[in-house]
Amino acid sequence: MTDLIPMTALGGAAPRSRRHGALSLVERPDIALASLALRRGAVAPAPGGLVLPGPGGLASADGLAAFWTGPGQWMVEAAGQAEADFAAALAAMAPGCSVTEQTDGWACFEVAGDAAALEALAERLVNLPAAALAPGRATRTVLHHMGVFALRRDPGCLALWGMRSAAGSLWHALDQAALRLTAFDET
Amino acid sequence: MLIPHPLLGPRDAQEFTYLGDAALMNRPDPAAGEDAFCDHVYLRGNPAGVHRELWFHEQGDRSWLVVTRNTLTHEILGAELATDVARRSE
Repeated sequence: MTDLIPMTALGGAAPRSRRHGALSLVERPDIALASLALRRGAVAPAPGGLVLPGPGGLASADGLAAFWTGPGQWMVEAAGQAEADFAAALAAMAPGCSVTEQTDGWACFEVAGDAAALEALAERLVNLPAAALAPGRATRTVLHHMGVFALRRDPGCLALWGMRSAAGSLWHALDQAALRLTAFDET
Repeated sequence: MLIPHPLLGPRDAQEFTYLGDAALMNRPDPAAGEDAFCDHVYLRGNPAGVHRELWFHEQGDRSWLVVTRNTLTHEILGAELATDVARRSE
């Protein structure tokens, strides 16, 4: 019998975390992700009472969160459900829509800190106007030549979804940027 | 260079890939004959001035835009979703 060892996107048995001054980074392997796309002419569903947001938006309700990824397309997150069949659960909540499991293709890292420090970090990492990453906004963009989804869950939390195969590179980019940003604050 | 995305606001041109003349959207009728298709596939205007062109928001929401750009000054005069342009011409 094959004895499989579960590991996170960064290869550890437990999620990696690091603290630099006011910023703390944490890997979030527990969040399940599924894409939701409308068929032509369909009306947007409200899975689990979640009102799907408009362009550049992020909405959350009852343990679910959804962010807009394109016209008629969203990604839906469910914290703590990465080991469950979340896509099947979402498909049941959104009949008639195209739902695809995404959890294993992506890795999520969250940066927590005060709003000013997160905005300074975002300025260094992504070429976006500050309004695109205001609290409650989410967007797809480029970070160190990698496509990522950047989500500002609330004033004190910035989440980044990147390709799982490039999780190490994404972690390195975040870790180094946070280190350089906070290195001079520590006394 | 910033491209004013109609849904997402100003975005870095690095997020986009360029296809070319927006006239590519006007595919000839299948019965139009080989000459019409040869022109559609191979012949492009190369204006020095205002040009309508297709850009793909590859590192963004993956929508196709029709961007109006002045090729002499690189000034971007406007951008709209290619789906809206196609719907209007139907």
